[in-house]
Amino acid sequence: MTGPGAGRDGPAGATRSDREPAAPVAQEFRGRNTGELVMTVALGALGVYLVLDAGTIAVPGSANTVGPRFFPYLVGGLVIATALALGYRVFRGDRGPADESEDVDPTAGTSWRAVGVIAVAFLAHALLINVVGWPLAVTLMFGTVAWALGARGIVRPLLAGGITSIVVWVVFVKALNVALPGGTLLEWATSWV
Amino acid sequence: MMDALSDLLGGFADALTPVNLLFALLGVLLGTAVGVLPGIGPAMTVALLLPITYVLEPTSAFIMFAGIYYGGMYGGSTTSILLNTPGESSSIMTALEGNQMAKAGRGAAALATAAIGSFVAGTIATLLLALVAPTVVDLAIGITAADYFALAVLAFVAVSTVLGSSPLRGLASLGVGLYLGLVGTDVLSGQERFTLGIPQLSDGIDVVVVAVALFAVGEALYVASRLRRGPVQVMPASGPYMTREDLRRSWKPWLRGTALGFPFGALPAGGAEIPTFLSYAAERRLTKHPEQFGRGAIEGVAGPEAANNAAAAGVLVPLLTLGLPTSATAAILLAAFTGYGIQPGPTLLTTESTLVWTLIAALLIGNAMLLVLNLPLAGVWVQLLRIPRPYLYAGILLFASLGSYAVNADPLDLVILLLLGGLGFLMRRYGWPVAPAVIGLILGPIAETNLRRALAISGGDLGVLVETWFSRIVLALALLALAGPIVLRAVRGRRSTPEELQEGARLRHREDEREVRR
Amino acid sequence: MTGAQPVVVVGVVPTPRGRAALEHAVLEAQRRSARLVVVNSSRGDALVDEEFLFGDRLRQLHADLTVSGVPFEVRQPVGRDVAEELADAAADTDADLLVIGLRRRSAVGKLLMGSAAQRILLDVDCPILAVKGPPGEDAR
Repeated sequence: MTGPGAGRDGPAGATRSDREPAAPVAQEFRGRNTGELVMTVALGALGVYLVLDAGTIAVPGSANTVGPRFFPYLVGGLVIATALALGYRVFRGDRGPADESEDVDPTAGTSWRAVGVIAVAFLAHALLINVVGWPLAVTLMFGTVAWALGARGIVRPLLAGGITSIVVWVVFVKALNVALPGGTLLEWATSWV
Repeated sequence: MMDALSDLLGGFADALTPVNLLFALLGVLLGTAVGVLPGIGPAMTVALLLPITYVLEPTSAFIMFAGIYYGGMYGGSTTSILLNTPGESSSIMTALEGNQMAKAGRGAAALATAAIGSFVAGTIATLLLALVAPTVVDLAIGITAADYFALAVLAFVAVSTVLGSSPLRGLASLGVGLYLGLVGTDVLSGQERFTLGIPQLSDGIDVVVVAVALFAVGEALYVASRLRRGPVQVMPASGPYMTREDLRRSWKPWLRGTALGFPFGALPAGGAEIPTFLSYAAERRLTKHPEQFGRGAIEGVAGPEAANNAAAAGVLVPLLTLGLPTSATAAILLAAFTGYGIQPGPTLLTTESTLVWTLIAALLIGNAMLLVLNLPLAGVWVQLLRIPRPYLYAGILLFASLGSYAVNADPLDLVILLLLGGLGFLMRRYGWPVAPAVIGLILGPIAETNLRRALAISGGDLGVLVETWFSRIVLALALLALAGPIVLRAVRGRRSTPEELQEGARLRHREDEREVRR
Repeated sequence: MTGAQPVVVVGVVPTPRGRAALEHAVLEAQRRSARLVVVNSSRGDALVDEEFLFGDRLRQLHADLTVSGVPFEVRQPVGRDVAEELADAAADTDADLLVIGLRRRSAVGKLLMGSAAQRILLDVDCPILAVKGPPGEDAR
């Protein structure tokens, strides 16, 4: 199955020297094989965990033959069987079709750096919410993510994040009564609403 | 039959209040916007808005969700035609001919045939839904827990193996979803399962968190990992909207697309992808202008677009009559029902008849709104895509944080969101489809309940699962869907070597005519 | 640089001010028997950039320039600001003249968005000809 990434008119290369996909693609595939095996092993581990841990689920004495363990065993079995079959396929050279989103460059290599920065920024904001309030925490996250994705400057991403987060906070907290800590300053400033 | 019509009229009376119309408008606007924007779709949007169900009336919320559901498809067809970026596989066919039409200066006609076709198909299919639903309920009222379990199994297998391009990876994704659905307290016995001793997990992982993580966070991370630089070419919506000739060539494909799309959507093995491919193939065979196919044939837009929308309405048949979701968005809608304490299933139509009929009326109203809104405004929607990517994806994460935190006001949910987002990223990265996981998560617990109920009645005898003809046939179909791909592969008897795969990857970047052959 | 033929660099966008800039650049190039370097750049950070030329518009630009008889070259760099790209193009062609189209903007707009023209004036060493589009048409 081919994805939607195909058939686009010249993706704006500077010199229009057409891409030579062969070399990077070859590299890409070698990299993915290891990754796919890791995914498969992880899936198998999940299956083993399901089966082992299902054995420790307490079964109330009153329960008849089909207790809370039955379905987990079933799922664990399915997962292990899938992992084995998938492992066999991957070992024989099968590769997953890359998910072709609307807005990704299918020829680009994976930028683990961007993924890492975003993950750290998101984790930091999760820990900051109850300390400095949602708007400020999410503004910092927004700014960092935009920066990691190559936004221009520092002021503008922070400004955009700040305005969006405050507007969203006011709409959801004041109009829709969603529980969301606003931080001391914002809560004081909007206490009259 | 007459009952259905009068019920539907009652639904209109309830839906046509100013407040409900406002929610319908809000829904279609939001839906179109997320359909146009890359990286977010209706499933994720509805998931993000699930916390709103705590403050909104069920009727208003479902009217808005219905608007988002239909609106997403209109938005998707606009970008397919003008930008050649089909967001979902069901839009590939539209992009194929639609973008060629736009290149030939007939963009407006392509948009018009897509929009009117979607409207016609959506309206007919929604009316069919209204007519069929009571009948299906009558049939379904007698189904046993074992029958329901069989249906769930069929939905699991079909969503995993038929829709994706790699059946095993679909099953892997399903397994992950089923596991996530198991975490928490077992409803029937009250025992904690797979909670790792974390007290917050004893209530289970919230559907909002999983869906938002897999769709929004996973997508944002994936896009970040291979960011596209540079713009794509936007075709102007030029030319006349629809000439008499266009209309003459379009109306039959619209009807044929509807006839293909609705049943496929309504089957538990449905989905919109197959009927759009079939519709395209049919139009190609029936056309009087075969030379235009591949170069902008209007039939190739009209048919698949109609099939796509009809299938979307069809998906609501099993959802509203059986409580059986067969697409990611339907699964999230099911979660919304349960969030309100409404038990979806054969009884839904009697216990919540006002809600269901208002929802169906709202779908028809939203469909009409979309036609009026989108035909003249296609160019305006495209302006949304001028938002720089860094802001777009940072904004998606902002809303992901909002939606997930609002569920329990617990930062731990955001940590889980990030972890599952990482999982969503890896799944995308290695070609595991996401939809089976969401369906496994939501339908899994329901399937388990029915399985155990059936086995409790039989005293643990597994034979109860194949006691009725209904469950036998359904399970046989599931087996077919499971074994079919494997058998096909064996018959074809060849494996892809790495060299061929490389060649395939290269082909992927070319104008793909291969889809046509299907 | 090569053959000491003078070079005129022009930044082009598909708007009235862009067309005005191109017209003046062509006239200047003809007057100086210069080579014309046309720069049409995009920051490339959005899926849609209407200032970037594709397909028919690009062909039209080539056709117009061919008709003018001026030797020309079209550059379409992606990824940085217009100001940087124009400054670079002017520097590496050792340009004799840079032609830019000026946006009509309010003081507030300038404060918020900054001005590409201002940065170009500061960065570029060669003479610069700034052209405004026809009044009222450039509101976008």
